[in-house]
Amino acid sequence: MRRDPVLDVRRLSKSFILHAVSGREVVAFNDVSFNITVGEHVALAGMSGAGKSSLLKCIYRTYRPNEGEVWLQIHAGEYVDMCALSDVEIAAIRSHEIGYVSQFLRSEPRRGALDIVVKSALQRGMNHDDAHDAAKLALQRVGIEPRLWDVYASVLSGGEKQRVNLAAGTVHPPRLLLLDEPLSALDPENRALALDLISSLSHRGVAVVSIFHDLEAIQRLASRVLVMEKGRLIAERNPQELDERLAAAAR
Amino acid sequence: MTTASTDRRFTVARLSVPAWMLKVEGLGKVYGPHDDRIVGSTGPEAGTAKSPINGSVVAAWNVSFAVAAGEALGIVGESGSGKSTVLRCLAGDTSSTTGSATIRLADGDVSLLDADAAKRRRLRIDTVSVVYQDPAEGLKLNVTAGGNIAEPLTAAGWRNFGKIRARASDLLSRTEVPLNRMDDLVRAFSGGMRQRVQIAKALANSPSVVLFDEPTTGLDASVAAGVLDLIRSLLEEHRIAAVVVSHDFSVIEMLTQRCLVMQHGRVVESALTDQLLEDPHHPYTQRLVAAARA
Repeated sequence: MRRDPVLDVRRLSKSFILHAVSGREVVAFNDVSFNITVGEHVALAGMSGAGKSSLLKCIYRTYRPNEGEVWLQIHAGEYVDMCALSDVEIAAIRSHEIGYVSQFLRSEPRRGALDIVVKSALQRGMNHDDAHDAAKLALQRVGIEPRLWDVYASVLSGGEKQRVNLAAGTVHPPRLLLLDEPLSALDPENRALALDLISSLSHRGVAVVSIFHDLEAIQRLASRVLVMEKGRLIAERNPQELDERLAAAAR
Repeated sequence: MTTASTDRRFTVARLSVPAWMLKVEGLGKVYGPHDDRIVGSTGPEAGTAKSPINGSVVAAWNVSFAVAAGEALGIVGESGSGKSTVLRCLAGDTSSTTGSATIRLADGDVSLLDADAAKRRRLRIDTVSVVYQDPAEGLKLNVTAGGNIAEPLTAAGWRNFGKIRARASDLLSRTEVPLNRMDDLVRAFSGGMRQRVQIAKALANSPSVVLFDEPTTGLDASVAAGVLDLIRSLLEEHRIAAVVVSHDFSVIEMLTQRCLVMQHGRVVESALTDQLLEDPHHPYTQRLVAAARA
């Protein structure tokens, strides 16, 4: 028998209506279906503009899909359709169940690195003391030294911001982790730390959907690769058989 | 493809979400005579809040939302969109034409809009506070900072001078007003400092609901940043249901999780704040976001 999916995306479609350009419709992606089980890591591959980031944003509901269903398991055997929830319900699901780490830290202005990660831990329901301990641990895990903890995240380097972002998204293992180029600004040493972190989360059962621009990260971490082209899911590949050209094209 | 989803049906989980503390239903405010036809002659499609039929102004119509304790809801729009009208109706500064607003307190529901004048004053003392754009609206400029904060406290029945002083200095230190300014007239304060005193006064009786009307508009950028940070930390510390009215998306983005967009007296879109910024649907929201991102 198949294991229950953590995430089941069904016939999801997204397009934008640009009113400033006389209502032109821009299709992000069309009729995408896939599912993913506990501890599985699915990487999305394809050229830039194929719809990968839009798909992640639709699952997180930063983008509002036009059609389709996004079923997320929140208890054993119980699911919610993210597309059928109210705003308040989505906010609750996000803070309890989903980690979203994008390429750029959209840090709130004038907030320190530790504060950002603590806030994320508090949202996951940890108490004040546990949240602080977990946040410090999470920052250490990605190599952010204590001397940077009270520095406003907005003045950190690109690589440091990315690591703070990763720490905030993983401070308490979420049920589903969405990664959009989380390693793009990291040097080799910190990249290795981040790869270890993501891999350890998979071992702990976190389901991951990711976008990486390099083949090495995909082959190290992913259990399956879904290939997107022009807004459609066109193929599924074994990561080890993935075409170098295809992965590179996403750059 | 093997990854295609199954057609199995899932058991739908029951979600628990925070219960509302402030609920507004069908709020409307019209200046001048009106009926369905006159209201229908205004709004985003008509491109005006002023009826071409009889000149009545439909400042706000059919505005509904709910806010939980510990949550901040934004209302964004250009000046004249009706956002401040909504807030002023809730504050009791102006009467509403139609609709209801309810505050759910531990000892029962309180109806805001149909309360008589005495009841409204009472609610403004200990249940609903307002932070106005212009501190002169919320404070008496010819009274000291401490005296301004003492006013809602004495109105709520505080009599002991020492305790009032202690409470006032506690509030001022929480809003980062130097305590050696406590006995200075508010008139002698800078704009940013006045706003901090106004916020301290608004918190005096630990209200359930705080309404912010353009709380940082008109302040220098660095001063506005300090006041915004203060509001953000207060909202995180207190279990307040907050409504933040602003024309400035950066204020809304920083303080709120959900947001309504108003144009010509109507709500044209309502969504999570990150959705409005990244995937705005209504033409007016798209214009606002494009302007803010420029």
